[in-house]
Amino acid sequence: MIPFIIRRFFHLIPTFIGATLLAFIIAQLVPGDFLTQKALNPNVRPETITRLTQQFGLDQPWPVQYINWMKNIAAGNLGLSFSSNQPVIEVIGQPIRNSMYLVVLSIIMLWALAIPLGVYSAVRQYSVGDQVVSTVSYFGLAIPNFYFAQILILLIFFFRGFTRDTFGYNSLILPVAQMTSSNYNELSPLAQIWDVFKHMLMPAFVVATSGIAGFTRVLRGQMIEFLSSDFIRTAKAKGLGERAVTYKHALRPAIIPFVAGIGSLLPALIGGAGLVEIVVSWPGITPRFLTALASQDIYVVLGLLVISSLLLMVGNLVSDLLLAVVDPRIRYS
Amino acid sequence: MKRILLSLLVASLFTVGFAEPFVWPSEWTSASADEVQMGGSVRLSELGELRTFNQFVSAESTAAADLLFNDALNSGARLVVQGPSSDEFIPYAAESFEISDDGTVVDIVLRDGIKWSDGTPVTVQDYFFAYTAETDPDVGSNSYDSWFIEDEPILMEVTGDNSMRFTFPKPDRTALPVLTFQPGPDHVLGEIYREGGAEALKAAWGTDVDLSTTVWTNPFIPVAYQGNERVLFQKNPYFGEWNVDSAGNPLPYLDEIVFNIVESVDAALNLYLAGELDIFNPSNLDDIGVINVAVQNGDIDATIIENASPVASSQFIVFNWNKAGDPFKQSLFRSTDFRQAMSHLVDREALIELVYGGAASPMWSNVYQVQEYWVNNDVPKFPYDPEAATELLAGLGFSRKNADGILVDRDGNELSFTLATNSGNTQREQIAQIFADSARDVGVNVEVQALDFNLLVDQLLSEGEDRPFDAILIGLTGGSRDWPFGSNVVPCGTNLHMYNTSGDCLTPQETLMTTLYYQGRATLDTEAAREIGLELQRVQAEIQPQVYTVSPSAHYSWLTSVGGEHPADLINALVGSRELVLTFKK
Repeated sequence: MIPFIIRRFFHLIPTFIGATLLAFIIAQLVPGDFLTQKALNPNVRPETITRLTQQFGLDQPWPVQYINWMKNIAAGNLGLSFSSNQPVIEVIGQPIRNSMYLVVLSIIMLWALAIPLGVYSAVRQYSVGDQVVSTVSYFGLAIPNFYFAQILILLIFFFRGFTRDTFGYNSLILPVAQMTSSNYNELSPLAQIWDVFKHMLMPAFVVATSGIAGFTRVLRGQMIEFLSSDFIRTAKAKGLGERAVTYKHALRPAIIPFVAGIGSLLPALIGGAGLVEIVVSWPGITPRFLTALASQDIYVVLGLLVISSLLLMVGNLVSDLLLAVVDPRIRYS
Repeated sequence: MKRILLSLLVASLFTVGFAEPFVWPSEWTSASADEVQMGGSVRLSELGELRTFNQFVSAESTAAADLLFNDALNSGARLVVQGPSSDEFIPYAAESFEISDDGTVVDIVLRDGIKWSDGTPVTVQDYFFAYTAETDPDVGSNSYDSWFIEDEPILMEVTGDNSMRFTFPKPDRTALPVLTFQPGPDHVLGEIYREGGAEALKAAWGTDVDLSTTVWTNPFIPVAYQGNERVLFQKNPYFGEWNVDSAGNPLPYLDEIVFNIVESVDAALNLYLAGELDIFNPSNLDDIGVINVAVQNGDIDATIIENASPVASSQFIVFNWNKAGDPFKQSLFRSTDFRQAMSHLVDREALIELVYGGAASPMWSNVYQVQEYWVNNDVPKFPYDPEAATELLAGLGFSRKNADGILVDRDGNELSFTLATNSGNTQREQIAQIFADSARDVGVNVEVQALDFNLLVDQLLSEGEDRPFDAILIGLTGGSRDWPFGSNVVPCGTNLHMYNTSGDCLTPQETLMTTLYYQGRATLDTEAAREIGLELQRVQAEIQPQVYTVSPSAHYSWLTSVGGEHPADLINALVGSRELVLTFKK
């Protein structure tokens, strides 16, 4: 196992260089640079643009820029953001953490909903319940996240109209934007956690729904396959109860592919929840990434890509190792 | 202007020696002094995160940064300011200021009693430090350019314990706003700069700074930055010592400002509808409609000011005069008759109705419509008139249509060109398409092309005899209240002189506009400068180097519980709907 890990580790290096080089070239292919928008300001002198171009090192040929950047990365420094003059790691650190909250809760929701649903659909194959689960989960797959979030926001507003007219309660049951309330600073620590949790519920649910469809379908298929296999018949024959057979003997092997996939969730953790973050104004990484892309704050973009690709590579390694742990048939040498 | 300055100087002479506070004029607010209430908090939101707390680094104008650094009356102890009611400079942190007869020397006496938020008195050294840092090219401050008039520096010297002198290389009304600069804390950032140089100064006061170590002269000082989501501002206790309202009450009225950073306008609107924001400025009629419904339903109690004024930006079609590779198009685009004909094909009324739902106004000159003092409403106009366009084009030899219905001249050249605009800006794409449709009706073939913004800018800023575009629909923002013509835009040879970047003036009118531009800048008397500006607009409208289209309207809205907005006639896109210092919670 140890030699395998070492070998895999050395494989990471060329992969990493290839990935960053490709990202850097693509970033260079985009027309214009960080200063292009500034050049369209009627009161900025062209000399200033020239001076800043030199200051930012944007006048050097891209291979030189790339090598300088890689040198910095080797020293653990992701560079400076043009727009804030702050180290990239500080610019993206907090948004990554905020995104992580959202993604973790959505993954928990996904597993908590998808596993029982998948098992139910397999055990009660072709029942009305199975059909309903399939239909609803396909809806979840088909509706784009950002649109679904808007529909939920609208429903929350409608619900306020309802509670106001019937109970005289003129407030929203769930917040429709941001991660905390305006009075967050005045809350007790426990109330602060509750405040963030309330804000997370709706967007996390939206993110979870898109995963549920795929997850339940695969789990259902796996379960059906195992439920009709010989060892299940044996288990039933020796008198085990329905529940033990389903959850202990069929679910365990059926869940293996998902456990192995945990490693690949790593980059997803920092990748953010996508456009939902924009819709509900979540201070996560997606808005930062898009702003950096739009303003061509190139080192912020690249910094994020570097961390993502590192985590993806580490995640893949972890997945491979996990597979060996959960599946006795797999051995690395 | 000098007469006013002089009278202010005389008025201030009587007060020398006393720590007289600055009195905020009652005409800046619609509220009377006895109806205001102290305390409370107002929740705002804007797009765009705050990237730094360092005034010398702030390179971008995001709303959050504006509140700290750029907003004339809600930021720090500027020597002079322009109020919402007039473009004249008023001494603010200055007790007096005096401009020499030749307009090149400005002497300023600092007001007594101004303090940093840690209680340290503000001195002339704080201004001198800010000047030093802003003029240090290694610091790379955004204000660097404002300290130069055509490469010649504006100099500052300390002339006494509380006096300073600014020497301008020549009289220039566009240089005066440099005097609105804010002091830098010499005892904090100055120390850092002296010890570690420009690099240390640039690295100071990032978003990770311990805010209790920062000092400000602003009415509201930042006390907490909550993870990319919110900045909390609290009343600066020392601000009221030198700022009072017309009844003598210390300012500001509010205790707190909660500044929410949102990722999309829709999210801000949702927060406003949820009652989580006190002020929201809708950008279009759809948003206003939603707010109206919420008000009718009783969800929120809000005031809406629709069509307050045109926005402070322009939108125009510019034709490329430098097409050596295509002599036919080059001579076409250089023809004044052709460009006048194109203006006749811009159906501004249709654009206002179809693109902006009525919330816009036509634009005829290169001064933003909202700058009422400067704009010339009597320039030659070439309004929508397909027949007039047809006639002008016939005069150029385009009187026959080919089988495709496109006008051709005697040599068989088709009257056809490409109009590019930036992709993603749906309103501009619509304007371009509506123009193309009207043009097609008279036989002019306009191909609309949506390009990436940066690519478009590259084309626009390209230089030389042969540039890679026909026509571009784009806009400009920014500019000043002192001389509303861009220094990079009007004179020949400047980088945003976008119709002709050959470096030379190609027409007598361009030469004239260049002369008028510099003449107006050098005229310190505002009324005289205005006359020159009116003439400049007339010349430009006559030759239509840019065909101006329409200017959308600015709208404002706030919860009725928030008072202290400007009087109705002072609400416009240049000065906004209120001063936060005079805002209060009912």
